[in-house]
Amino acid sequence: MTALAEVLDVADRPGPLPRRPSLVRAPATASPQHLAGSLHVLTCGSVDDGKSTLIGRLLWDAGALHTDQRQTLQRSAKTAAGTPDFSLLVDGLAAEREQGITIDIAWRYFDTSARRLVIIDSPGHEQYTRNMATGASHADVAILLVDARTGVKVQTRRHAAILGLMGVARVVLAVNKMDLADWSEARFRDIEAEFLTLAQRFGFSDAVTIPVSAVLGDNIAKRSTAMRWYAGPLLLEHLQQIPARQTKAGGDFRFPVQMVVRAGQDFRGLAGTIASGDIGIGYEVVDALSGARARVRRIVTMGRDLDHADAGRAVVLQLDTDIDVSRGAVLAAPDRMPTVVRSLDARLVWLSDQPFSPSRGYLLRTATDLVPVASIDIRAHLDLASLAERPSSTCAANDIALASIELGRRAVAELFSHQRETGSFVLIDAVTGASVAGGVVTAANSHESKRAQDAFQLTRSLLKQGVGADLANDAASEEELRRRANEVAILLRGAGVAVQLEDQWARGRIDAATVWLSVLMALSFGFVLAIVFGAL
Amino acid sequence: MTMPLTHLDLLEAESIYIFREAAAQFRRPVLLYSIGKDSTVLLHLARKAFYPARPPFPLLHVDTTWKFRDMIAFRDRTARELDLDLIVHINKDGIAAGIDPIDYPPSTYTDVMKTQGLRQALDLHGFDAAFGGARRDEEASRAKERVFSFRSEGHRWDPRKQRPEMWRLLNGRLGSGETARVFPLSNWTEKDVWRYIAREQLDVVPLYFAAERPTVERKGSLLVRDDDRMPLRLGETVVLRQVRFRTLGCWPLTAAIESQAADLTGVIEETLSASVSERQGRLIDHDEAGAMERKKQEGYF
Repeated sequence: MTALAEVLDVADRPGPLPRRPSLVRAPATASPQHLAGSLHVLTCGSVDDGKSTLIGRLLWDAGALHTDQRQTLQRSAKTAAGTPDFSLLVDGLAAEREQGITIDIAWRYFDTSARRLVIIDSPGHEQYTRNMATGASHADVAILLVDARTGVKVQTRRHAAILGLMGVARVVLAVNKMDLADWSEARFRDIEAEFLTLAQRFGFSDAVTIPVSAVLGDNIAKRSTAMRWYAGPLLLEHLQQIPARQTKAGGDFRFPVQMVVRAGQDFRGLAGTIASGDIGIGYEVVDALSGARARVRRIVTMGRDLDHADAGRAVVLQLDTDIDVSRGAVLAAPDRMPTVVRSLDARLVWLSDQPFSPSRGYLLRTATDLVPVASIDIRAHLDLASLAERPSSTCAANDIALASIELGRRAVAELFSHQRETGSFVLIDAVTGASVAGGVVTAANSHESKRAQDAFQLTRSLLKQGVGADLANDAASEEELRRRANEVAILLRGAGVAVQLEDQWARGRIDAATVWLSVLMALSFGFVLAIVFGAL
Repeated sequence: MTMPLTHLDLLEAESIYIFREAAAQFRRPVLLYSIGKDSTVLLHLARKAFYPARPPFPLLHVDTTWKFRDMIAFRDRTARELDLDLIVHINKDGIAAGIDPIDYPPSTYTDVMKTQGLRQALDLHGFDAAFGGARRDEEASRAKERVFSFRSEGHRWDPRKQRPEMWRLLNGRLGSGETARVFPLSNWTEKDVWRYIAREQLDVVPLYFAAERPTVERKGSLLVRDDDRMPLRLGETVVLRQVRFRTLGCWPLTAAIESQAADLTGVIEETLSASVSERQGRLIDHDEAGAMERKKQEGYF
């Protein structure tokens, strides 16, 4: 508390009554040069529970506002309590100011003595559940707001469910508008009990309940004198002590390759950000898909090479042998390999206004890979009101669904609970490019299904003969060929043809049997294309 | 063991990640270079992202012909010293029509020389993605902008149809007629930009540092008269004042602040304890409430 008070210039409120909101504060203390990290804080809860006001109050109390912003606020219309309308600071889009609601997530940044706080404000209306889910995917901790007078609502429960889905395990329930609920402890304890039940259900490992008044500032940065019965942490104080965002340094090494960097005749490096674990010179790495192994020769960054690098660093790895990996590959340590899957089970939040359609072509983006989807079976919906699972085969905007997804080729995917980076994905509409759903992997299956075995096999040699006949034999052309392979797979799928991309592109000499197979496939491929173009 | 990452390390890594994602996913990207401090950081991060290779895209400067002379000199020197591929585009139709910031309202001038100029250049070269240095902390409608921000045909921005961005996943698959704007500095603040310039010892345009400059006070703002194209109005005089700029643009539309901060340390101290938000210095933004949001919908960067 002491350090916080110093930085924020927080003083206990002087007199008891009459209660006057403190508006004039000392100017912000200059923040330090370097901050030890950042904490991403999501604010959510039902509409009208006062989220925007709470954030405005946080910024105001933390001295994070500039004078012109303060003046604008002072000049603006006052709330019923006679305080400035803090929500004006946050509701940025004209449509929002007109409707008085928050339709999109907004980002706010401010510094405390030790760290950067990033506030992600998410919308409360039911039709914007998808925005809330988007915000949650970036959060280290969530502040869930409820109105003390109404308590936990359906929308509160929904938001708790989404936090659970997105793996946000640290949640603060801020019971707001305590000033309008007679500062009642009994009321607060009832709400707290209800929240703790939710917390257990959704696996929140760190659940704290705090009674506040965002409008008056009670228990935000200064202790409330009206609620002396509350001895727990203040909101800002609590945010201050949560461990800063740190990717798990002790986890398994995962390095999703973003691109190949070539310089001059000799240099070929793999660019990426270390998702988890650590890497050093001489460490052995393996490409999970091909099994190819090599050792790290150099860890390159501009300015200087590193001997060792931890999770979170963006580097270029040069290996001692040129294994054939490119964008989409995931490098790992040989004894801690990720799972390579053909299909997976997932929980999805549907983002697009366009509902799920089994006949549309979808792509799955996970880490840096983009994988054509062979099929998606929607199995059930999560009913956010009752929190029950209901069988269903459809999926539309804001739905949370359980689905089985069959991939068009092998890909790295892991349980979200184990690896965030390789366990989360976005589904993309292959034609419009829109991000239609976000999801987390709940089961990873490496076996080939009956359907995959029966599917049309799209091989490298086949593609090279026609679709890729103009391409050279260098690495860039190889990437282009893979891109075209994905597109052909999408077209075929759109025409109702089950298709699988060959596991490993055939390399070097092609034996006679393969040639024969290719000829046969070329014939059937031509036939399929005729159907495709006939259909267009 | 290596040192734990500071928040600047995290921001740097995130920006590099964004650069690489965009370079891998778009076919013909370009870096929109506007010479200011944000562009300086942007360019530095682009070089880091692809090192030891050069950034795989050119730089584009949309020149309104009203930039400070110091800015143009800095631009040309940077491109030469770093051996960068620089494209300079001027809206010739706007010049022919005589559109200038003196006789035309800021909104008209900006639309023609900046917004339309940018659209011309993007279309002319067939760029499908443009990197920009915009930050979410600059302005309310920027706070809701995505990292990959899509524009429909005609480069229009529809805030209601933004693609959700979940986790670190960036989806650069374009729909028909779409182009993208990419903002690697989305999560940086003005303070971070200066802290990073100091940490990496980057060169910036000297206008950011206080010096005696010929100023004119107009409508409560201090303008630095960079050449004689702006006639004085009745009662106005040119006064030498110790001033600097927090943000740089076209000189008749960019207000200076009185300051003693003559070097980087001074500027950082001033920024860390700043009491006025930086866009206050940009005269085009206060035309009316929601001005920036409307400009963006029309294709302003």
